[in-house]
Order: sequence, then structure tokens, then C-alpha cells
Amino acid sequence: MEPVLSSMLDLMRRLPPTKIEENVEALMQISPDYAEDLSANVDQPLKLRVDRATGKEYLACVYNQDGESYRSPWSNEYDPPSEDGPMPPPKLRKLEIAANEAFDTYREMYFEGGVSSVFLWDLEDGGFAGVVLLKKTLTPASPLEPSGSWDSIHVFETMERGRQAHYKLTSTIMLQLITRRGSASGSSDAKEPVTWTHDGEISLSGSMTRQMEQDHPVQDATSHVQNVGRMVEDMEIKMRNLLQEVYFGKTRDVVNDLRSLDDLEKARRQRELQKELVGFIKS
Amino acid sequence: MASMSEEEQERIETVSKFLLQSPPGEINDVLNDVRVLIGDDESLETGILPALTQYNLEQLTVAEVPGAGHSSIVSIRARIPGEEDRFLDPRSKTSFLYNHLTMEISDPQTHEPNEASEPFRSALETSTLQYLSSHFNDGTASVFANSDETSFIIQIVANKYNPVNFWSGRWRSEYTVDLDARKVTGQILVNVHYYEQGNVQLETKHRASIVLPTSISASSPGPSAKKVLALIADQEGAYQESLGDTYHEMGDKAFKGLRRALPLTRQKLDWDKVLGYKLSAELSSSKAIFGGSGGSS
Repeated sequence: MEPVLSSMLDLMRRLPPTKIEENVEALMQISPDYAEDLSANVDQPLKLRVDRATGKEYLACVYNQDGESYRSPWSNEYDPPSEDGPMPPPKLRKLEIAANEAFDTYREMYFEGGVSSVFLWDLEDGGFAGVVLLKKTLTPASPLEPSGSWDSIHVFETMERGRQAHYKLTSTIMLQLITRRGSASGSSDAKEPVTWTHDGEISLSGSMTRQMEQDHPVQDATSHVQNVGRMVEDMEIKMRNLLQEVYFGKTRDVVNDLRSLDDLEKARRQRELQKELVGFIKS
Repeated sequence: MASMSEEEQERIETVSKFLLQSPPGEINDVLNDVRVLIGDDESLETGILPALTQYNLEQLTVAEVPGAGHSSIVSIRARIPGEEDRFLDPRSKTSFLYNHLTMEISDPQTHEPNEASEPFRSALETSTLQYLSSHFNDGTASVFANSDETSFIIQIVANKYNPVNFWSGRWRSEYTVDLDARKVTGQILVNVHYYEQGNVQLETKHRASIVLPTSISASSPGPSAKKVLALIADQEGAYQESLGDTYHEMGDKAFKGLRRALPLTRQKLDWDKVLGYKLSAELSSSKAIFGGSGGSS
């Protein structure tokens, strides 16, 4: 890869995920030549928009964007209107409608809320590609409850080979969870009453990306919706487990590696005592 | 040196912001990326020095004190007043020059402590170092006396960098022990970065305030310092445990609330039927209407 772009992407892998939007914008400002590469290679949180025709919410990202306009998967219209914004050909649009309906059901079953959108486009060398987007935001009922958001971006490409189709899926899930805390407590030690107050914030945020390639049989066009559907479902199940492991397992292990809840000195002394005892028995 | 163009200055300002956001132990990686973006080492090095300095001071950078056999913390608290790049290690009573770009340490000089505050500072240091070895695997601590002679600063930093397994972490705490106000105020900051095929970061901020019991006074440095550190240890331990509870809550409530592991049916979707779901849902809802008015068939 080109060194400047590869440095930019390395930076985005290191800088805080909570600042991804402002950092991408800052990079585009100092290197406008790379603006397009950046938006194609860096996944950013999905934006919610409302379809003017149907009143239904959809998701905006680089895949349904034309300049300042975004195409809605429901009405198939650009907002604000765009004369020459790319449109899927009629046959592909039919499949796009079916895919949007299918993933709307998928969204309801797994997310019980949120918004989904699917966009398809033709590939130059035959076959087609698409993106399945899902987003859910948790708004806490009280300030001390966690807030959070989940954004899925599943990009796929498919090529038919006779009665089979080859699928390549790249999935990114962005997950953010924030908890605010505040409390005061008194010590039970009656002799010397100690009081502390504390407050704070815990934020876990980031994204993980995985890829998958599979072949599946194709009977008619709707087979693609089913095949991609199964792949996206399997991928999300796999990645949900992975996110759980990394967010709530790995980061916690690192904290406990930095500071030990148990007294390390005590453990050290115990080990030495044991060694001495063993030496004593042996002699 | 030729003065920078406005555009160049804007670029330096932008990459300076990136440097300040570097995860634990990755400042050199960020610096390497930024070097490629700027493509002019000379203007980069002079331009980013303020950001590097700020980063080092904020992140409680660890420096090996010349000839002391231990490390101390380079921070705003450690800075010798009136001298930009000279920092104090109160433990060895040494000050040294620190180069924020090369991380080189030079010109160690003896620094005489304030006689009035030194007994309590030194007692706090002893207790802090004991606490450090009891609960931190790779920790460094420095204890400073403020010029008012009755308040003291404790700084603790612990780092773990594991680039081979794509993670790094940093624990920072800082406390002001104010004997006049009978109060310890401070904060704990924890940062963890996990970056194997992704970029996941934990960032926590925790502020605490502890009221000091009356038995603590400057006239009994040893026992008082011990008690202060026992209170800090309790508070840090409680915080670490509460982190565990918060994790549980986030993993249990919030994570499940965002996306279920499986649908309510406890089964994966039947994709052969999904395309028909909408239709059948519409049918069944209309059936219900008919069923309600028409009774059972």
C-alpha cells in the first residue's frame, strides 16, 4: 500500500475510537488528496436519516452517498435530490428491496429496535456487491445507567459461477459503552469515621473487523439474499462473542495485570517461606 | 530556521493533536506515522516538541534517575520551577535534564529538600513505595512536597506494553494530601488498548475525595503516612472492584440490550422463510382481525 495511506490507516488503528470522525476529518484537511481513500478505508459510525417520502429511518454512509446527498433504501430517492447520483439497475433494485425487507426482519429479531439498510451495486467485471448496515443506540433511562451504540457494516461481493456463487464478506462492528458513576460512602470503622466521595466515567469503545469467504448454491436472484443473510448472521454471532471476550475479558485482564487486587508482597513472602520449608525438609 | 508557512503550521497543529491521543506505549508508532504524513523531519521535530512535552508530562513518563538505581516520574509536579526541562526525583534528591524528543536524561544535580516538609514527605514516600510493591507489577511512584509545606503530591504510574499480543495498558493515580484541610483528593485514570484486527480502548476517569481522620498530623510522620496510604489503598482497591461490577453491568444489561445473542425463538433465522415473513405477518395480522369478528372456523 501507498506509504502515506498506510500511515493514515495505522494512525486510525491507534487513536481513540471515540474521536474517529474528527480525526478522519483532520486527516482529510491536511491531506485532501487522500480524502477519498480515507472514506473508502476507514469505517465511521453510521448516521441516521429520515426518508422524506416514507418517514422511515435509514442509515447513511459512503455507500449510499453522492456528494451531500444520500439515497434511501425505502423510496430509492436521494435527499437532497441528486440528478446523477448512482442508482442500481431495475433488476438489482428489485433484489435490494427484497434484501431490505429480509434484513428488516433480521434487525427486529436480533436488535429489537434500531435501524437497518441494504444497498447494492453492480461490479464492473460482472457480479454485484452490497452493504448491509445495522445500528442500534441505547439511551439510558437514568444518568447512572450505561449508554451505548452498536454499528454493523457488512460489505460483500459476489460472483456467480454456474449454479454456485462465491461470496466475500468483510464485516466491521463498532461498539461503544459508557457508564457514569457517582457515590459517597462512610466507613463502618466507628473509632475513626472516614468518608469518601467519588465519581467517574468508564468508556469502552472501538471496532473489530473480520472477513469470510464462502460458496453457496444459487437457484434464483433471491438465493443471494438468503446466502448473504446466513453469512451475515453467522458472522455477527461470531463477532458478538469476540466483542464480548475482548471488551469484557481482555481489557479487564490488562487492568488486573497493571494493578493487583491481592497483596503481591504477601504472596511473595509466602512463596519464600514455602521455598525455605522445602529446603528445610530436604536437608 | 525558516519560518513555517500557514499550511505547514496547520499540519503540525493537527499531528500534534494525534500525538496527544497516543495510546499507552505507542507514542513512537504514532510519531512514525506522523513523520510520513509531514515528510519533513526538521519542521516536524521543532513543531511537535510542545505536544511531545505535554504528552510526557500528562502521561507521567518514567525516567531512570542517573546513578540512583530507581526510576522517577517526569510530570508538571516534578518540574523544577523556572527551569523548563529540569525535573526532580525527591527520593534521590537529584534533579536532571529530560529531553522530550530523544528521552535522554542528562546533567544530574543534587537538590536539597525543604527541611520543614521533608520528614513527612519522606514518610509518605516510604509508605507509597510499600503500597506500590504490594499492588503494582511494574509501578513507579514519586512523592513531592508543595511549597506551602503542609500539602504533598503522590503520583503513581504503572505500564504494561505487549505489542506482540497487540495490547497495552496504563494506570495513573495522583493524590494531593492536604494536612491543613484534612483531605486527600485525587484521581485514577486507566487506559487500555487492544488492537488485534481492531481498535478497542478502555478509558476510565475516577475522582475521589477522602476525609482524613484527626489522628493524622505532621508531628507523627511515620504512623500518619501509613494511615494515609492505607486509606488510598482501600479506595483504589474498592475502585478496582467496582470496575468489575461495572463490567458486569455493561456486559449483562447494555450489551444484551444492544443485540441479542439469539432471537427470542432461541433459533437462528430461517432464511428460506424470511422473505415470506413480512407477507405472512401481514396475513396473520389480518387473520386476527377476521378471527376476532368471525369467531373460530
